[in-house]
Amino acid sequence: MVINPWNLVFLFFALLVLLSAVGVVAIRHPVYSALSLLANLCITAVLYLVLMGAPFIAMIQVIVYAGAIMVFFLFVIMLMNLRKGEYEERMVPWRLLLGVSAAAVFAFQVFILAGEWRGFLPPGAHGFGAKDLSHLIFTRYILAFELVSVLIFVAALGAVALAKKKL
Amino acid sequence: MGVGLFQYTVLSVLVFLLGALGLMIRKNVIVMFLCLELMLNGVNILFMALARCRGSVEGQVIVLFVMAVAAAEAAIGMAIITTFYRNRGGVGVDRADLMKW
Repeated sequence: MVINPWNLVFLFFALLVLLSAVGVVAIRHPVYSALSLLANLCITAVLYLVLMGAPFIAMIQVIVYAGAIMVFFLFVIMLMNLRKGEYEERMVPWRLLLGVSAAAVFAFQVFILAGEWRGFLPPGAHGFGAKDLSHLIFTRYILAFELVSVLIFVAALGAVALAKKKL
Repeated sequence: MGVGLFQYTVLSVLVFLLGALGLMIRKNVIVMFLCLELMLNGVNILFMALARCRGSVEGQVIVLFVMAVAAAEAAIGMAIITTFYRNRGGVGVDRADLMKW
């Protein structure tokens, strides 16, 4: 039996993604938790780039998500400067039990639904680039694109209005 | 037998579930927000896999829109958390008890 090397690549990166996702949930210190999420986003970008042939989305993921949003998160966490007693929290066992069981029920339902999805994804680096995406964005999704710009403008205004001490 | 849509679905659902679990069991508001981003990332993986499987670009366009909305949401959320921290003196969700019965 010949092992497809792409399977090993997928397995490796999928395990890294899951490991860093567990790190986000399990690590107590908020800064390390945020760094774990940063690792998660970067590895997901590698997955997009190598396996799904989407270099543009991979770049945007690293620049916007890992670059802008995560720096923003880290900035706020460090601004608050939480001391040791302030971020420590008790993991209540029954909450953990409740959460795990709810997650398990949801996973069971989704996997029953997804069991028939047998589509095949050709791995490799020939997919869609910025040209294809921009063609679609500026023709069919032009209204949504403009609305997103309005949304971000309003969000910036709202953030200033919320965080200001006295209006 | 290569990596198919099912494997990507499993990965995406697991990432989404870890985010949801973190949202349920953590009490630190900032970490809950990080878990929210984790859930969005899981959905993005599924969108990308479906786009690849169908051979269309539309899934990638939706991923772009999800990222833009996540950026807006992060700005608003961080402003709310900063105000919360200033008014309540901490980041535990237990401190938000003004409307508690």
